[in-house]
Amino acid sequence: MADNSTYRDELAPMSRAERRAGTRLILSAVGLHKKWVAVGVAAGLIWTLARVSVPKITGKAIDFGVTNDSDSQLPKWVGFLLAAGLVQAIFTGVRRYAAFRLALRVETDLRMRLVAHLQRLHFGFHDEAQTGQLMARANSDIAQVQNVVLLMPLTIASTLTMIAVAGVLLARDPLLAVFALSTLPMLQIAAMRFSHKMFPIGLAQQEKLADLSAIVEESITGIRVVKGFGAERRQTSRLDAEAEAVFDRSLQAAYLRAWFLPLIDLLPTIGLIGTLWYGGHQVIAGHLSVGDIVAANFYVLMLIWPLRMLGMLLGQIPRAVGAASRIREVLKTDPVIADRPGANPLAAGPGEVRFENVSFAYGSAGLVLDGLDLTIRGGESVALVGATASGKTTVARLLPRFYEIDTGRVLIDGVDVRDLRLHALRTAVGIVFEDTFLFSVSVRDNIAFAKPDAPIEAVRSAAVLAGADEFVATLPDGYDTLVGQHGYTLSGGQRQRLAIARAVLADPKVLILDDATSSVDPSKEHEIRAALEQVMKGRTTIVIAHRPATIALADRVVLLDGGRVVAEGTHLELLATSERYREVLASSEDMPA
Amino acid sequence: MRGQGAWNDLVPADDMSRGEAKRVIRRLWRMLGPWHRGIVYASAVVVVQVAALVAGPSLVRYGIDAGIQVDDKGALNLAVVMYIGVALLSLVLGRAVTRMVARLGESFLQWLRTHVFRHLMSLSMDFFEKEKTGRLVARMTSDIDALQELISQGLVLMVQNVLLFVGTAVVITVISPLLALVTLAIVPPVYFASRWFRRVSNVAYLEVRDRISTNMSTLQESLEGIRVVQAFAREKHASDRFSETNEAQFEANLSTVSISAKYFPAVEMSGVVGTAVIIGVGGWMVHAEAATIGTVAAFVLYLNNLFEPIQQLSQFYNTVQSGGAALNKLFGLLDTGPSVSERPGAFDIAPSAVDIVVNCVSFAYLDDVVLDNVSMTIHSGERVALVGPTGAGKSTLAKLLARFYDPSSGSVSIGGADLRAITLDSLRRRMCFVPQEGYLFAGTLRENVRIGRPEASDVEVEDAMRALGVLEHFAAFPGGLDTEVREGDSRLSAGERQLMSLARAALADPAILILDEATSNLDPGTEQSVEQALEALMHGRTVVVVAHRLSTAERADRVAVIDGGRLVEYGTHADLVGAGGRYASLFAAWVVHRP
Repeated sequence: MADNSTYRDELAPMSRAERRAGTRLILSAVGLHKKWVAVGVAAGLIWTLARVSVPKITGKAIDFGVTNDSDSQLPKWVGFLLAAGLVQAIFTGVRRYAAFRLALRVETDLRMRLVAHLQRLHFGFHDEAQTGQLMARANSDIAQVQNVVLLMPLTIASTLTMIAVAGVLLARDPLLAVFALSTLPMLQIAAMRFSHKMFPIGLAQQEKLADLSAIVEESITGIRVVKGFGAERRQTSRLDAEAEAVFDRSLQAAYLRAWFLPLIDLLPTIGLIGTLWYGGHQVIAGHLSVGDIVAANFYVLMLIWPLRMLGMLLGQIPRAVGAASRIREVLKTDPVIADRPGANPLAAGPGEVRFENVSFAYGSAGLVLDGLDLTIRGGESVALVGATASGKTTVARLLPRFYEIDTGRVLIDGVDVRDLRLHALRTAVGIVFEDTFLFSVSVRDNIAFAKPDAPIEAVRSAAVLAGADEFVATLPDGYDTLVGQHGYTLSGGQRQRLAIARAVLADPKVLILDDATSSVDPSKEHEIRAALEQVMKGRTTIVIAHRPATIALADRVVLLDGGRVVAEGTHLELLATSERYREVLASSEDMPA
Repeated sequence: MRGQGAWNDLVPADDMSRGEAKRVIRRLWRMLGPWHRGIVYASAVVVVQVAALVAGPSLVRYGIDAGIQVDDKGALNLAVVMYIGVALLSLVLGRAVTRMVARLGESFLQWLRTHVFRHLMSLSMDFFEKEKTGRLVARMTSDIDALQELISQGLVLMVQNVLLFVGTAVVITVISPLLALVTLAIVPPVYFASRWFRRVSNVAYLEVRDRISTNMSTLQESLEGIRVVQAFAREKHASDRFSETNEAQFEANLSTVSISAKYFPAVEMSGVVGTAVIIGVGGWMVHAEAATIGTVAAFVLYLNNLFEPIQQLSQFYNTVQSGGAALNKLFGLLDTGPSVSERPGAFDIAPSAVDIVVNCVSFAYLDDVVLDNVSMTIHSGERVALVGPTGAGKSTLAKLLARFYDPSSGSVSIGGADLRAITLDSLRRRMCFVPQEGYLFAGTLRENVRIGRPEASDVEVEDAMRALGVLEHFAAFPGGLDTEVREGDSRLSAGERQLMSLARAALADPAILILDEATSNLDPGTEQSVEQALEALMHGRTVVVVAHRLSTAERADRVAVIDGGRLVEYGTHADLVGAGGRYASLFAAWVVHRP
């Protein structure tokens, strides 16, 4: 489904500072490839010279070769014409190649910079940002910048051509130049206005098309509901309304085209007519030759496309600057969570985890953790239990320093996590998220995500520990089966088991299982419970779970409520002593029929 | 002159055979029936407009030969005035024709969109289960968009260009057959160069498209998986992986540039060669008094009219081809009929009819027998749970009851009337099929509840939600019941979606409910609300529930155990547990694990 807000983004007005930042970004990106700028402009210059000489030679050829009654001059001028044509042809190739190469290089560099930067930005940024928006930055915004960069060398060459043509005509006869060229600036203005007016209409049309396809998509993916409630007619009438809106927008766009395109075609024709009239009378009066008229006509025809392009470029520059300033916006966001100066690697230790008076809130929302104190001894396994929003997942996310805490300290083996190098910290702490994400690579590469060089034996033994080996063996290509968005569809439970294997292979000092078995079929969970016990042995482990059987695996159970620890003990102790504990567990009943 | 071969090149040839293409065009023409008159008018205007364009250089010729060369100012002025007239005419006609064609094309597209969607919605469940969602969506989006592009961008220009080329060729042949012959000699090389360019750049662009989509999906994945990447400290690895696909996109783009860096010089060179040939041969003819200077000048200007169309048409080729392929696929969809449809003479179901009788029903799906001779009766007001292992056929049975499919043999009837004899509309008013994984449509919460009964008032929506005890919960959302939601909306938990689904059913208020119980796990908190809402919804209705939890079966009036497509046990919970059969052992196993 298309993200409509990205369309609206492009129409938002810009401040001066934003404009300047956008322009600077484009220029600095182009500046990195001065060589291609130089090649493009130089080739453009030679091309211009050759191109401008072609009509001039044609005119001379008519005057000296055709009008003149002797055959002797004709071959010479035809030869000149062909030579100029050859130079023009060669350099049009060089010029195009240089311009495209420059533009594509700028595009590729900018995208890489953007993506590398996004990789380093903190969880908090990604929580706020929508994937669709970021994709638009890397895709349509960069494409707009690319468009303008592409047109830059061409425009320089075109501008030179125009100046040269104006010079040649003015030198021959100033009034001829006026008649031939006076409508051409209007052509450029018309092209610019067309591009400028078309843009919002085009966006609105895209937006309506996206709305329409959203209805199609939901009607098909939700077909069971549509059929189950007989809602076909409702969806049909919604689609009718959108189809009508698309019709309106498309017609609006077509009417705009109908207004401008014939006008853009007419303007140069006026130059041709003016040349014929003025030039014709001058020839009769003996001041000009027929060749001059033909040459002037030729010049007009030659300038049509450069002027249309220039108009388009001028129409596109504000959009490209806007796009660049949006890209810049992302680039200048600093990662909140980064290595402090003097951050250390993690020393060897048992993996003791300690939360000291930790308070934390997501942004400006209420406190999720409120003075939490919790110590987990090295090698101990602890189950965190609590109702929704009790803060258990937050505990799991603060230990690897995905977020920065407001007050208190989080320590591993006595060292504040903020004093550790991020790489070292996150290698030492392994986490399995509840919503498992698998990459579109093979099962093997997914499991070996943390250690791509791990031998297949290590991958397999991690899979065995996570209870995944058995089902992987039944996949079409075993460990080489492609999974993820573009691969084989796995069940939620299977995905979770692969995610556990991924964490196990990384062999972290501290392992966090955040509701990591919630989608595993309870009858299967029984199978991996033994494996989990194995994984947890001798490793500091934090388990977040609802199912009593999983909770019972831990050495100790900690009950969280309102961002604090309210009770701790073994599963059985808490069952016996804590009313709240029994309440929280009570509703986790689920068994398959 | 352009021969038959050139035209055949413009019709889709890669995806379709020539015969197929002809069929598609013929069928399209029939489909365009209501627009025929408009098409004829628009075509007439285009012909006049192109004639005006072609007249231009001839007027220049007249001005030079009859005016300038013989010092006749009157003839020169006449040529200029006529040229102005012709230019204005072509402006006016150009605007008119663009508007006419847009109106025709866009209204046809609007009709096509609604027509195809209506057809799609009339198709039966089995069709949607066989076809991939993405492909069906593509029929309505990218396929129709391909036609849209053809109509809005290409159609007028294409027709104009063909006419311009033909018109110019005819006019120059009339003016000077010999000079026309040498001028047209430049056409075949340009034509073949354009064809080469189109073919080679097509392949290159396909590659570019491929690499772009790979690059974008790598990016999307690295954004969606950013938490995993950071959790494992693999940022550099992810950047490297992106860098590879990013550079691959660059390389693919650059290879298209190399192609055009060969083609465009060749075309520019041909232009100059054309001019040189006209002047060389024309000059010689002028000296031999076989042509006038005006003719030579006109030919130089006409050369543009020959070049532009060839280049433009070769660019339209792709648009035309994908438009044709899109139409072919759309026709394929339109030719698929619904497998479940209303018989002629179908009648509305009697309002009192409730008893459901399944009589010797068998159902085969793609040669697999899913249900084998099942017979059962569900009485009015009764609550029946269908239980059995995955793939046993319980969901299929539920869908047969809702007439998502028709049985291969046997019959399902309500109140004595065979489902196949009843109108689908009246059936849906009596019976709703409620998949419990609540699917959210884009719109407000209120609109989502209203799916089953679009005409319901706000009060009715709220009453239905209140009856289930969920009104307060949803009214507490930031925007209340007017909160905008959409599928995949992370603000609604799985449990809340289920509640929405139940509220939908409550508003539709059918006498018979077919429920497909959710398999996913819920948060302990919402689980209770769902149970309560479900209980309230089932109250006073005839219910058939596909049960994934034995607690649901335990509360039902009767339990039907389906295994291997057969009904193996059917009775009350107590009876079946007492009988010690399949159900009893399932239940015993479950009780042990119960917390």
